[in-house]
Amino acid sequence: MRLQIVNTLPESDPRAQKAIRTLQGKALECRIVSAYDKKISPCIGCNACWLRTPGICSVKDDYEEILKGYLTYDATVFLAGTALQFVNHRMKNLIDRMLPLATMYIHIPDDQCRHVMRYDRRLQLGLLYAGEADRNYLNQWMDRVMLNFDGVNLGAYPITQAEEVLSCIL
Amino acid sequence: MHLVIISGAARPQPRSNTARIIAAFRQGYEEKGNSAEVWYLSDRRQWQDAKTAFEKNEQILFALPLYVENIPGIMLEFLEQLQPKTIPGTHIAFLLQGGFPEASQSRCCEEYLETLPAQLGCEYAGTLIKGDMFGVSLMGEKTGAKMVAPFAEMGRYFAENGYFDKEKVSSFAAPEYMSDKQIRNFRRFGPVQKLFMNRIAKKLGCKERLDAKPYGTAL
Repeated sequence: MRLQIVNTLPESDPRAQKAIRTLQGKALECRIVSAYDKKISPCIGCNACWLRTPGICSVKDDYEEILKGYLTYDATVFLAGTALQFVNHRMKNLIDRMLPLATMYIHIPDDQCRHVMRYDRRLQLGLLYAGEADRNYLNQWMDRVMLNFDGVNLGAYPITQAEEVLSCIL
Repeated sequence: MHLVIISGAARPQPRSNTARIIAAFRQGYEEKGNSAEVWYLSDRRQWQDAKTAFEKNEQILFALPLYVENIPGIMLEFLEQLQPKTIPGTHIAFLLQGGFPEASQSRCCEEYLETLPAQLGCEYAGTLIKGDMFGVSLMGEKTGAKMVAPFAEMGRYFAENGYFDKEKVSSFAAPEYMSDKQIRNFRRFGPVQKLFMNRIAKKLGCKERLDAKPYGTAL
């Protein structure tokens, strides 16, 4: 399995280092993106990726390589800090910026409206969080995110349980 | 009563659907002698004033668009910087608007919003939910005004009650899910919708197909 690891914690964080070693030991190939020091801005809600330059984000910063990685790696695991019992804004910004993967078109595949996805590749995303958070809620949120991006939630786990996040795809 | 409204939208105020909704809500809220001030987090120069307003006032309303099942990253960044209040008495309410028509799309976010005020040393005063707001800024001035007009009534309601009652909110937010008939109609008119979106995109200067795959057609 080819794995993209997006680390939003400082590179020197021992919890992140240990989790990365664990994940590396389980994947055939790993790309590690140290997002903490990169310039990754919030989504500005301009809708350009849907209506002006379909699939391309108008915010020019370091995010695009991560966006491409969702499509070219089998799975992506985020290492995230927490705040207010949720992921922190660094992590939320990464998820908000996924919008170019969806199109403006809407369909109803089950009982709710969803965006038609831009690519056929099925996303698989997992979350390892460091800090206090409501794990049940994080899982519920990730389920919803993946439902609307037609992907698979690999689960939200405390960062000390890094081996768990790949257990269902290895 | 004085209300501090903080917009958590990332889109700059002149093009923000949330800002137009706030304007309608505020109009209703202020009709009977109440007052309100509004701060926009899309403009970081307003953050310090918004923080001060949060600290000094007891009635707070965060207005926000639903962003990937929860609050926008920019609003989360702002919330992380607030100091929880140590003196009780502050109430926080939320006005949550989304693009999809079903209120059920906003429930995951609502569940999180219910937990936020206590983490900031405040009391929860409810969440007003409304979907189908994507087109407010795209559909032209007249249609946009019609879409946000019902928020004035909710502003009056909030001025009278100081909170959003769950039952009242559910009625305003309806439909929770689209009916079978609505879904059948939606599917029947799918191609027309696509044409409509294509036309909007063309007007905005789009030169590609809306389902273009810039990172590879094989993916």
